[in-house]
Amino acid sequence: MLKKIEDWNYYELLSVERTASPDEIWDGYQAALTTYQDGSLALYGLVSEAERELVLGRVQEAFQTLRDPDARREYDLALLRHAPYFPPKAAFRKSVGKLEIEEAPPRPALWARIKRLFVKNL
Amino acid sequence: MDKRVWAIGGGKGGTGKSFVAASLGLHLASLDRDVVMVDADLGAPNLHTLLGLKAGHPDLGDFLTGRIPSLEAAAVATPYKGLRLVRGSENILFIANLAHYRKLRLLRQVRQVQTQNVILDLGTGSSFNTLDFFLSANPGVVVATPEPTAIENTYLFLKSCIMRVLKLYMDHYKIRDLHQKMLDQIEKNSQSLYGFFRSLMETDRAYGTILYRALRGFRPCLVMNKTRDERDVLLGRSVADVARKYLLIDMKYLGAVPYDEDVHTSLRRLRPYYPEHRDAAAARAIRQMSEELAYSIEFTLRTPPEIRLPDA
Repeated sequence: MLKKIEDWNYYELLSVERTASPDEIWDGYQAALTTYQDGSLALYGLVSEAERELVLGRVQEAFQTLRDPDARREYDLALLRHAPYFPPKAAFRKSVGKLEIEEAPPRPALWARIKRLFVKNL
Repeated sequence: MDKRVWAIGGGKGGTGKSFVAASLGLHLASLDRDVVMVDADLGAPNLHTLLGLKAGHPDLGDFLTGRIPSLEAAAVATPYKGLRLVRGSENILFIANLAHYRKLRLLRQVRQVQTQNVILDLGTGSSFNTLDFFLSANPGVVVATPEPTAIENTYLFLKSCIMRVLKLYMDHYKIRDLHQKMLDQIEKNSQSLYGFFRSLMETDRAYGTILYRALRGFRPCLVMNKTRDERDVLLGRSVADVARKYLLIDMKYLGAVPYDEDVHTSLRRLRPYYPEHRDAAAARAIRQMSEELAYSIEFTLRTPPEIRLPDA
Protein backbone atom coordinates (compact mmCIF):
# COMPACT_ATOMS: atom_id res chain seq x y z
CA MET A 1 0.00 0.00 0.00
CA LEU A 2 0.91 3.61 0.22
CA LYS A 3 4.15 3.97 2.15
CA LYS A 4 6.85 6.50 2.58
CA ILE A 5 10.27 5.33 1.44
CA GLU A 6 11.57 5.42 5.02
CA ASP A 7 8.71 3.13 6.02
CA TRP A 8 9.44 0.38 3.53
CA ASN A 9 10.22 -2.84 5.24
CA TYR A 10 13.31 -4.84 4.36
CA TYR A 11 11.42 -7.08 1.96
CA GLU A 12 9.93 -4.17 0.08
CA LEU A 13 13.35 -2.56 -0.13
CA LEU A 14 14.78 -5.64 -1.81
CA SER A 15 11.57 -6.20 -3.84
CA VAL A 16 11.20 -9.79 -2.62
CA GLU A 17 8.38 -11.72 -1.01
CA ARG A 18 8.41 -12.36 2.71
CA THR A 19 8.75 -16.05 1.96
CA ALA A 20 11.86 -15.46 -0.19
CA SER A 21 14.67 -18.02 -0.04
CA PRO A 22 18.26 -16.91 0.75
CA ASP A 23 19.04 -17.07 -2.96
CA GLU A 24 16.12 -14.80 -3.83
CA ILE A 25 17.21 -12.40 -1.13
CA TRP A 26 20.72 -12.36 -2.59
CA ASP A 27 19.28 -11.65 -6.06
CA GLY A 28 17.06 -8.90 -4.67
CA TYR A 29 20.05 -7.40 -2.88
CA GLN A 30 22.12 -7.41 -6.04
CA ALA A 31 19.27 -5.80 -7.96
CA ALA A 32 18.83 -3.12 -5.29
CA LEU A 33 22.59 -2.44 -5.30
CA THR A 34 22.47 -1.97 -9.08
CA THR A 35 19.55 0.40 -8.75
CA TYR A 36 20.93 2.54 -5.95
CA GLN A 37 24.67 2.47 -6.71
CA ASP A 38 26.58 5.69 -7.18
CA GLY A 39 25.86 7.19 -10.59
CA SER A 40 22.97 4.83 -11.27
CA LEU A 41 21.15 5.71 -14.47
CA ALA A 42 17.87 4.32 -13.14
CA LEU A 43 17.49 7.22 -10.74
CA TYR A 44 18.40 9.90 -13.23
CA GLY A 45 15.98 12.78 -13.14
CA LEU A 46 13.87 11.37 -10.34
CA VAL A 47 15.76 10.70 -7.12
CA SER A 48 18.21 13.06 -5.42
CA GLU A 49 21.73 12.07 -4.34
CA ALA A 50 20.94 12.38 -0.61
CA GLU A 51 17.93 10.15 -0.99
CA ARG A 52 19.89 7.59 -2.96
CA GLU A 53 22.46 7.33 -0.15
CA LEU A 54 19.71 6.96 2.42
CA VAL A 55 18.04 4.12 0.54
CA LEU A 56 21.38 2.42 -0.18
CA GLY A 57 22.15 2.46 3.56
CA ARG A 58 18.81 0.84 4.27
CA VAL A 59 19.37 -1.75 1.56
CA GLN A 60 22.65 -2.79 3.26
CA GLU A 61 20.85 -2.89 6.59
CA ALA A 62 18.08 -5.03 5.09
CA PHE A 63 20.51 -7.52 3.61
CA GLN A 64 22.55 -7.80 6.81
CA THR A 65 19.39 -8.65 8.72
CA LEU A 66 17.77 -11.00 6.23
CA ARG A 67 20.91 -13.05 5.49
CA ASP A 68 21.14 -14.11 9.13
CA PRO A 69 18.37 -16.66 9.91
CA ASP A 70 18.07 -15.69 13.57
CA ALA A 71 17.94 -11.98 12.89
CA ARG A 72 15.46 -12.60 10.08
CA ARG A 73 13.15 -14.63 12.34
CA GLU A 74 13.21 -11.88 14.91
CA TYR A 75 12.55 -9.25 12.29
CA ASP A 76 9.69 -11.28 10.78
CA LEU A 77 8.02 -11.58 14.17
CA ALA A 78 8.31 -7.86 14.77
CA LEU A 79 6.95 -7.24 11.27
CA LEU A 80 4.00 -9.58 11.70
CA ARG A 81 2.91 -7.69 14.77
CA HIS A 82 2.75 -4.57 12.62
CA ALA A 83 1.08 -5.95 9.54
CA PRO A 84 -0.29 -9.41 8.72
CA TYR A 85 1.10 -11.11 5.64
CA PHE A 86 -1.02 -12.39 2.80
CA PRO A 87 1.05 -14.31 0.26
CA PRO A 88 0.27 -13.52 -3.37
CA LYS A 89 -2.13 -15.82 -5.14
CA ALA A 90 -0.64 -18.26 -7.62
CA ALA A 91 -0.57 -16.89 -11.12
CA PHE A 92 -2.04 -19.01 -13.87
CA ARG A 93 -2.15 -18.56 -17.58
CA LYS A 94 -5.49 -17.99 -19.12
CA SER A 95 -4.19 -19.60 -22.28
CA VAL A 96 -4.02 -22.96 -20.53
CA GLY A 97 -7.77 -22.92 -19.94
CA LYS A 98 -8.40 -21.85 -23.52
CA LEU A 99 -6.19 -24.55 -24.96
CA GLU A 100 -7.94 -27.22 -22.94
CA ILE A 101 -11.26 -26.10 -24.30
CA GLU A 102 -9.95 -26.12 -27.84
CA GLU A 103 -8.42 -29.57 -27.50
CA ALA A 104 -11.50 -31.16 -25.99
CA PRO A 105 -13.44 -33.32 -28.48
CA PRO A 106 -16.45 -31.57 -30.01
CA ARG A 107 -19.73 -32.19 -28.25
CA PRO A 108 -21.85 -34.69 -30.21
CA ALA A 109 -25.06 -33.44 -31.69
CA LEU A 110 -28.35 -34.03 -29.92
CA TRP A 111 -29.43 -36.87 -32.18
CA ALA A 112 -26.14 -38.71 -31.66
CA ARG A 113 -26.52 -38.40 -27.90
CA ILE A 114 -30.04 -39.76 -27.94
CA LYS A 115 -28.95 -42.60 -30.22
CA ARG A 116 -26.15 -43.49 -27.83
CA LEU A 117 -28.71 -44.06 -25.09
CA PHE A 118 -30.36 -46.88 -27.03
CA VAL A 119 -27.64 -48.33 -29.24
CA LYS A 120 -24.79 -50.04 -27.41
CA ASN A 121 -21.22 -50.06 -28.83
CA LEU A 122 -21.83 -47.15 -31.14
CA MET B 1 -14.26 -10.96 -29.99
CA ASP B 2 -11.33 -10.89 -27.59
CA LYS B 3 -9.83 -7.65 -28.75
CA ARG B 4 -6.68 -5.99 -27.61
CA VAL B 5 -5.33 -2.51 -28.21
CA TRP B 6 -1.57 -2.26 -27.88
CA ALA B 7 0.04 1.17 -27.63
CA ILE B 8 3.75 1.67 -28.10
CA GLY B 9 4.90 4.99 -26.68
CA GLY B 10 7.66 6.69 -24.79
CA GLY B 11 9.10 10.03 -23.86
CA LYS B 12 12.06 10.37 -26.16
CA GLY B 13 12.41 10.21 -29.92
CA GLY B 14 14.65 7.63 -31.55
CA THR B 15 14.22 4.96 -28.89
CA GLY B 16 12.71 2.57 -31.40
CA LYS B 17 8.99 2.83 -30.73
CA SER B 18 8.06 2.34 -34.37
CA PHE B 19 10.57 -0.49 -34.74
CA VAL B 20 9.08 -2.33 -31.75
CA ALA B 21 5.55 -1.65 -33.02
CA ALA B 22 6.34 -2.87 -36.54
CA SER B 23 8.11 -6.00 -35.31
CA LEU B 24 5.28 -6.77 -32.92
CA GLY B 25 2.71 -6.38 -35.68
CA LEU B 26 4.68 -8.56 -38.09
CA HIS B 27 5.13 -11.20 -35.43
CA LEU B 28 1.43 -11.30 -34.53
CA ALA B 29 0.52 -11.45 -38.21
CA SER B 30 2.95 -14.35 -38.71
CA LEU B 31 0.94 -16.23 -36.09
CA ASP B 32 -2.12 -15.88 -38.35
CA ARG B 33 -3.66 -13.24 -36.19
CA ASP B 34 -5.59 -10.34 -37.54
CA VAL B 35 -3.71 -7.09 -36.88
CA VAL B 36 -4.46 -3.46 -37.68
CA MET B 37 -1.58 -1.06 -37.11
CA VAL B 38 -2.35 2.62 -36.72
CA ASP B 39 0.42 5.15 -37.18
CA ALA B 40 -0.73 7.50 -34.44
CA ASP B 41 2.56 9.40 -34.45
CA LEU B 42 0.74 12.56 -35.43
CA GLY B 43 3.78 14.77 -35.82
CA ALA B 44 6.17 12.50 -37.67
CA PRO B 45 4.60 9.36 -39.09
CA ASN B 46 6.90 6.74 -40.57
CA LEU B 47 5.55 3.34 -39.63
CA HIS B 48 4.85 2.61 -43.31
CA THR B 49 8.57 2.96 -44.09
CA LEU B 50 9.45 0.44 -41.39
CA LEU B 51 6.98 -1.97 -42.97
CA GLY B 52 8.52 -1.40 -46.40
CA LEU B 53 5.56 0.55 -47.79
CA LYS B 54 5.27 3.93 -49.45
CA ALA B 55 3.27 6.84 -48.09
CA GLY B 56 -0.04 7.43 -49.79
CA HIS B 57 -3.78 7.53 -49.50
CA PRO B 58 -6.01 6.58 -47.76
CA ASP B 59 -4.38 7.62 -44.51
CA LEU B 60 -5.32 8.69 -41.00
CA GLY B 61 -5.88 12.27 -42.17
CA ASP B 62 -8.51 11.12 -44.68
CA PHE B 63 -10.41 9.48 -41.86
CA LEU B 64 -10.08 12.43 -39.52
CA THR B 65 -11.30 14.92 -42.11
CA GLY B 66 -14.26 12.70 -42.94
CA ARG B 67 -13.22 11.81 -46.50
CA ILE B 68 -13.34 8.20 -45.36
CA PRO B 69 -16.23 7.11 -43.14
CA SER B 70 -14.40 4.74 -40.81
CA LEU B 71 -10.96 3.75 -39.59
CA GLU B 72 -11.65 0.30 -40.99
CA ALA B 73 -11.80 1.77 -44.50
CA ALA B 74 -8.53 3.63 -43.97
CA ALA B 75 -6.71 0.39 -43.12
CA VAL B 76 -4.93 -0.78 -46.25
CA ALA B 77 -3.68 -4.30 -46.84
CA THR B 78 0.08 -4.92 -46.63
CA PRO B 79 2.14 -7.66 -48.30
CA TYR B 80 1.95 -9.51 -44.98
CA LYS B 81 -1.06 -11.74 -44.52
CA GLY B 82 -3.44 -10.57 -41.81
CA LEU B 83 -1.68 -7.24 -41.31
CA ARG B 84 -3.39 -4.00 -42.28
CA LEU B 85 -2.01 -0.52 -41.81
CA VAL B 86 -3.56 2.89 -41.28
CA ARG B 87 -0.86 5.17 -42.61
CA GLY B 88 -0.04 8.41 -40.84
CA SER B 89 -1.13 11.61 -42.49
CA GLU B 90 1.32 13.71 -44.41
CA ASN B 91 -0.72 16.80 -43.71
CA ILE B 92 1.24 17.30 -40.51
CA LEU B 93 0.26 20.82 -39.57
CA PHE B 94 -3.39 19.95 -39.48
CA ILE B 95 -3.11 16.59 -37.83
CA ALA B 96 -0.45 17.28 -35.18
CA ASN B 97 -2.81 19.71 -33.52
CA LEU B 98 -5.74 17.37 -33.44
CA ALA B 99 -9.00 18.88 -32.27
CA HIS B 100 -10.57 17.32 -29.21
CA TYR B 101 -13.65 15.94 -30.95
CA ARG B 102 -11.52 14.37 -33.66
CA LYS B 103 -9.43 12.65 -31.03
CA LEU B 104 -12.56 11.25 -29.37
CA ARG B 105 -13.77 9.99 -32.73
CA LEU B 106 -10.47 8.27 -33.39
CA LEU B 107 -10.48 6.65 -29.94
CA ARG B 108 -14.02 5.42 -30.48
CA GLN B 109 -13.18 4.01 -33.91
CA VAL B 110 -10.11 2.22 -32.57
CA ARG B 111 -12.44 0.34 -30.25
CA GLN B 112 -14.85 -0.44 -33.08
CA VAL B 113 -12.48 -1.64 -35.77
CA GLN B 114 -13.08 -5.31 -36.59
CA THR B 115 -9.86 -7.05 -35.65
CA GLN B 116 -8.25 -8.97 -32.82
CA ASN B 117 -5.30 -6.68 -32.36
CA VAL B 118 -4.89 -2.97 -32.87
CA ILE B 119 -1.37 -1.62 -32.50
CA LEU B 120 -1.03 2.12 -32.00
CA ASP B 121 2.40 3.51 -32.78
CA LEU B 122 2.53 6.73 -30.80
CA GLY B 123 4.64 9.81 -31.18
CA THR B 124 7.19 11.34 -28.89
CA GLY B 125 6.39 13.67 -26.06
CA SER B 126 3.67 14.20 -23.54
CA SER B 127 0.95 15.99 -25.46
CA PHE B 128 -2.61 15.22 -24.37
CA ASN B 129 -3.27 13.41 -27.63
CA THR B 130 -0.39 10.99 -27.15
CA LEU B 131 -1.20 10.44 -23.48
CA ASP B 132 -4.85 9.71 -24.15
CA PHE B 133 -4.01 7.18 -26.85
CA PHE B 134 -1.53 5.55 -24.51
CA LEU B 135 -3.97 5.43 -21.61
CA SER B 136 -6.78 4.04 -23.72
CA ALA B 137 -4.70 0.98 -24.61
CA ASN B 138 -4.02 -2.21 -22.77
CA PRO B 139 -1.19 -3.06 -22.74
CA GLY B 140 0.64 0.25 -23.01
CA VAL B 141 4.32 -0.31 -23.70
CA VAL B 142 6.94 2.34 -22.97
CA VAL B 143 10.11 2.00 -25.02
CA ALA B 144 13.33 3.40 -23.56
CA THR B 145 17.03 3.11 -24.33
CA PRO B 146 19.86 2.86 -21.79
CA GLU B 147 20.82 6.52 -21.92
CA PRO B 148 20.27 9.25 -19.30
CA THR B 149 18.21 11.34 -21.71
CA ALA B 150 15.86 8.48 -22.48
CA ILE B 151 15.52 7.50 -18.81
CA GLU B 152 14.80 11.08 -17.82
CA ASN B 153 12.13 11.40 -20.49
CA THR B 154 10.65 8.03 -19.60
CA TYR B 155 10.02 9.21 -16.05
CA LEU B 156 8.63 12.45 -17.40
CA PHE B 157 6.31 10.55 -19.72
CA LEU B 158 5.14 8.30 -16.87
CA LYS B 159 4.57 11.31 -14.63
CA SER B 160 2.55 12.99 -17.36
CA CYS B 161 0.45 9.83 -17.75
CA ILE B 162 -0.13 9.74 -14.00
CA MET B 163 -1.17 13.41 -13.94
CA ARG B 164 -3.48 12.83 -16.88
CA VAL B 165 -5.14 9.80 -15.26
CA LEU B 166 -5.64 11.69 -12.02
CA LYS B 167 -6.94 14.76 -13.82
CA LEU B 168 -9.49 12.74 -15.81
CA TYR B 169 -10.77 11.19 -12.61
CA MET B 170 -10.81 14.55 -10.85
CA ASP B 171 -12.83 16.03 -13.69
CA HIS B 172 -15.18 13.08 -13.68
CA TYR B 173 -15.82 13.37 -9.94
CA LYS B 174 -15.93 17.17 -10.14
CA ILE B 175 -13.05 17.70 -7.73
CA ARG B 176 -11.16 20.13 -9.91
CA ASP B 177 -9.82 22.16 -7.00
CA LEU B 178 -7.59 19.21 -6.20
CA HIS B 179 -5.92 19.53 -9.57
CA GLN B 180 -4.12 22.75 -8.76
CA LYS B 181 -3.07 21.31 -5.43
CA MET B 182 -1.64 18.30 -7.22
CA LEU B 183 0.26 20.44 -9.72
CA ASP B 184 1.73 22.54 -6.91
CA GLN B 185 2.83 19.56 -4.91
CA ILE B 186 3.97 17.07 -7.47
CA GLU B 187 6.78 19.15 -8.92
CA LYS B 188 8.60 19.36 -5.60
CA ASN B 189 10.62 16.16 -5.35
CA SER B 190 10.64 12.44 -5.97
CA GLN B 191 8.37 11.68 -3.03
CA SER B 192 5.87 14.35 -3.89
CA LEU B 193 3.35 11.94 -5.36
CA TYR B 194 3.41 10.01 -2.14
CA GLY B 195 3.09 13.28 -0.19
CA PHE B 196 0.11 14.34 -2.29
CA PHE B 197 -1.72 11.10 -1.64
CA ARG B 198 -0.81 11.10 2.03
CA SER B 199 -2.25 14.56 2.61
CA LEU B 200 -5.28 13.72 0.49
CA MET B 201 -5.93 10.56 2.50
CA GLU B 202 -5.90 12.61 5.66
CA THR B 203 -8.26 15.29 4.40
CA ASP B 204 -10.57 13.26 2.17
CA ARG B 205 -10.19 9.54 2.35
CA ALA B 206 -12.95 8.69 -0.12
CA TYR B 207 -11.50 10.72 -2.98
CA GLY B 208 -8.00 9.64 -2.00
CA THR B 209 -9.01 6.02 -2.38
CA ILE B 210 -10.69 6.61 -5.73
CA LEU B 211 -7.66 8.39 -7.13
CA TYR B 212 -5.22 5.87 -5.72
CA ARG B 213 -7.15 3.01 -7.27
CA ALA B 214 -7.22 4.88 -10.56
CA LEU B 215 -3.46 5.24 -10.34
CA ARG B 216 -2.98 1.54 -9.59
CA GLY B 217 -5.09 0.70 -12.62
CA PHE B 218 -2.47 2.35 -14.82
CA ARG B 219 -0.15 -0.55 -15.52
CA PRO B 220 2.37 0.25 -18.22
CA CYS B 221 5.07 -2.12 -19.46
CA LEU B 222 8.68 -1.20 -20.12
CA VAL B 223 10.93 -2.35 -22.94
CA MET B 224 14.62 -1.46 -22.90
CA ASN B 225 15.69 -1.19 -26.51
CA LYS B 226 19.19 -1.16 -28.03
CA THR B 227 20.88 -2.82 -25.05
CA ARG B 228 24.54 -3.61 -25.52
CA ASP B 229 25.45 -5.53 -22.36
CA GLU B 230 24.06 -7.11 -19.22
CA ARG B 231 24.21 -3.78 -17.39
CA ASP B 232 21.76 -2.25 -19.84
CA VAL B 233 19.39 -5.18 -19.41
CA LEU B 234 19.47 -4.78 -15.63
CA LEU B 235 18.87 -1.05 -15.99
CA GLY B 236 15.37 -1.80 -17.30
CA ARG B 237 14.62 -3.84 -14.21
CA SER B 238 15.88 -1.01 -12.01
CA VAL B 239 13.78 1.60 -13.83
CA ALA B 240 10.62 -0.48 -13.39
CA ASP B 241 11.44 -0.97 -9.72
CA VAL B 242 12.05 2.74 -9.18
CA ALA B 243 8.77 3.58 -10.96
CA ARG B 244 6.93 1.13 -8.73
CA LYS B 245 8.43 2.66 -5.61
CA TYR B 246 8.49 6.36 -6.38
CA LEU B 247 5.67 6.81 -8.87
CA LEU B 248 3.43 4.23 -7.14
CA ILE B 249 2.52 2.56 -10.43
CA ASP B 250 2.51 -1.13 -11.16
CA MET B 251 5.09 -1.20 -13.92
CA LYS B 252 6.12 -4.42 -15.56
CA TYR B 253 9.51 -4.90 -17.15
CA LEU B 254 9.01 -6.90 -20.30
CA GLY B 255 12.66 -7.27 -21.19
CA ALA B 256 15.41 -5.94 -23.36
CA VAL B 257 15.86 -5.85 -27.12
CA PRO B 258 19.56 -6.14 -27.95
CA TYR B 259 21.18 -3.63 -30.27
CA ASP B 260 21.41 -4.94 -33.80
CA GLU B 261 23.18 -3.22 -36.67
CA ASP B 262 20.90 -5.08 -39.08
CA VAL B 263 17.96 -2.94 -37.95
CA HIS B 264 19.74 0.01 -39.47
CA THR B 265 20.70 -1.95 -42.58
CA SER B 266 17.11 -3.13 -43.10
CA LEU B 267 15.86 0.41 -42.76
CA ARG B 268 18.34 1.64 -45.35
CA ARG B 269 17.10 -1.03 -47.74
CA LEU B 270 13.49 -0.02 -46.96
CA ARG B 271 12.67 -3.53 -45.88
CA PRO B 272 11.13 -4.61 -42.58
CA TYR B 273 13.60 -6.14 -40.15
CA TYR B 274 11.53 -8.83 -38.48
CA PRO B 275 10.66 -11.28 -41.31
CA GLU B 276 14.22 -11.40 -42.61
CA HIS B 277 15.94 -11.76 -39.24
CA ARG B 278 13.63 -14.07 -37.37
CA ASP B 279 16.49 -15.87 -35.65
CA ALA B 280 18.33 -12.76 -34.52
CA ALA B 281 18.48 -11.98 -30.81
CA ALA B 282 16.40 -8.81 -31.22
CA ALA B 283 13.61 -10.68 -33.06
CA ARG B 284 13.65 -13.41 -30.42
CA ALA B 285 13.30 -10.77 -27.71
CA ILE B 286 10.29 -9.24 -29.50
CA ARG B 287 8.67 -12.67 -29.79
CA GLN B 288 9.18 -13.38 -26.13
CA MET B 289 7.64 -10.05 -25.14
CA SER B 290 4.60 -10.47 -27.31
CA GLU B 291 4.04 -13.96 -25.92
CA GLU B 292 4.33 -12.68 -22.41
CA LEU B 293 1.85 -9.90 -23.08
CA ALA B 294 -0.55 -12.03 -25.07
CA TYR B 295 -0.81 -14.72 -22.45
CA SER B 296 -0.30 -12.73 -19.30
CA ILE B 297 -3.31 -13.03 -17.06
CA GLU B 298 -2.94 -9.48 -15.84
CA PHE B 299 -3.71 -8.13 -19.27
CA THR B 300 -6.37 -10.58 -20.27
CA LEU B 301 -8.53 -10.47 -17.20
CA ARG B 302 -7.78 -7.09 -15.71
CA THR B 303 -8.93 -4.39 -18.03
CA PRO B 304 -7.90 -0.83 -17.28
CA PRO B 305 -10.41 1.43 -15.61
CA GLU B 306 -12.70 3.07 -18.12
CA ILE B 307 -11.52 6.60 -18.64
CA ARG B 308 -14.21 8.95 -19.77
CA LEU B 309 -12.83 11.95 -21.52
CA PRO B 310 -14.65 15.16 -20.75
CA ASP B 311 -16.52 16.38 -23.78
CA ALA B 312 -15.36 19.97 -23.37
